[in-house]
Amino acid sequence: MTEQTFLILTALAGESLHGYAVIEDVARQTAGRVKLRAGTLYAVLDRLRGAGLIEVDREEVVQSRLRRYYRLTAAGAESLTAEAARLRERATLAEGRLRARRADFGGATA
Amino acid sequence: MTTPEIRYRRLLALYPSDFRREYEEEMLAVLMADPRPGAAQIADVLRAALAARLRQTWSGAGAWGRAARVFQLFGVIAMLAISLRRVAAAVAGATWPGRAFHLDSVDGLRAAGWAVALAGALYGLRALGAAGAAAGLTGEIIFTARIYPDTPAVVIDRYWQLVAAVLLLAAGLVAERGPVRPRGWAWIALAGAALVAHGAVLRYGLWQAYAALPWVSVVLAGVGVARQEPETRRRMIALAVPVLATFPVERAGFAGFVEHNMRHPEALRVLGPGQWIALVLIPVAAFVVVADINRRLERGRAERR
Repeated sequence: MTEQTFLILTALAGESLHGYAVIEDVARQTAGRVKLRAGTLYAVLDRLRGAGLIEVDREEVVQSRLRRYYRLTAAGAESLTAEAARLRERATLAEGRLRARRADFGGATA
Repeated sequence: MTTPEIRYRRLLALYPSDFRREYEEEMLAVLMADPRPGAAQIADVLRAALAARLRQTWSGAGAWGRAARVFQLFGVIAMLAISLRRVAAAVAGATWPGRAFHLDSVDGLRAAGWAVALAGALYGLRALGAAGAAAGLTGEIIFTARIYPDTPAVVIDRYWQLVAAVLLLAAGLVAERGPVRPRGWAWIALAGAALVAHGAVLRYGLWQAYAALPWVSVVLAGVGVARQEPETRRRMIALAVPVLATFPVERAGFAGFVEHNMRHPEALRVLGPGQWIALVLIPVAAFVVVADINRRLERGRAERR
């Protein structure tokens, strides 16, 4: 799973969101490091819909513009859970090795 | 409609119609709401539109994978035959009294590369096919690059072979795996044999055979392609269109360039950046257009059923 896919699924894990709200949520999650653009966002959304990981929740028209809200499906939640577990496992491994490294250097941070 | 909206709608028109029907209005809303207009936004939409088009082209992946497989096998046989033609000429030339056999190393690389690619295509081994095709393509590029400084028009003469080599490398990467013996393959093998013989017949003064063999080869290859299932045949033709498109480009687009260099060897012209870009983009555009036409035709047929 790419980082963009993970971030978008995470954005939709909380509540159903429309396209621009997903961009804002991803920017918040990453403290502004990842700022998705429309082309990239909709390529991922289309792929995730095709894979059955997200679905359309509802549509509304605001100031003559269509807003379509997307939500996570059960398969999407399962996929995000598995990816989160995998990342946690890797992070735990990395932290363990870094702790051991610091101990080897007698507490030095080098 | 505001100016930015018109501009964004023009950009979104680059997406396939299915994608546009589904997402155009909400994408437009997002683009209008985004406070970051500019070149990066436009580049992002352009890249995503191109990716969507390519994805759609390969959406019937099973059928395309089968067609790519047959196309790869037939094409590699043709490229191997063309490279063996020079080997046959070298062998025939060595039968003259006092002439020793000499095979140029690049000719050897091309023939070896396409032979390996043929093994990969026959047994459906993608890595082997890709390695062979990459070696064959490298041989084609070196062969052309060596002549280019003295004869820049060689790029135009050999344009179709370079495009064919790139296509065969790409087709091998998306082709179905597993051994294959498609119907009509014997006709293609005969077409290849005719091309190889073409390299040797001049040594024996067989001028009529020299003139006829390329056409015999084309007819035999045509029979081989005609024997495919209609669905496979249509896709094979779409895959071959980038190569076929090179011929009118050679004849019309670069006729002046070739003629100038023929008439003025003292003031040779080389290809400019725009011409190089055109040579790269024309086959890609030709494939996208024909694949799109094919997809529309198939959708029409499916709807009529």
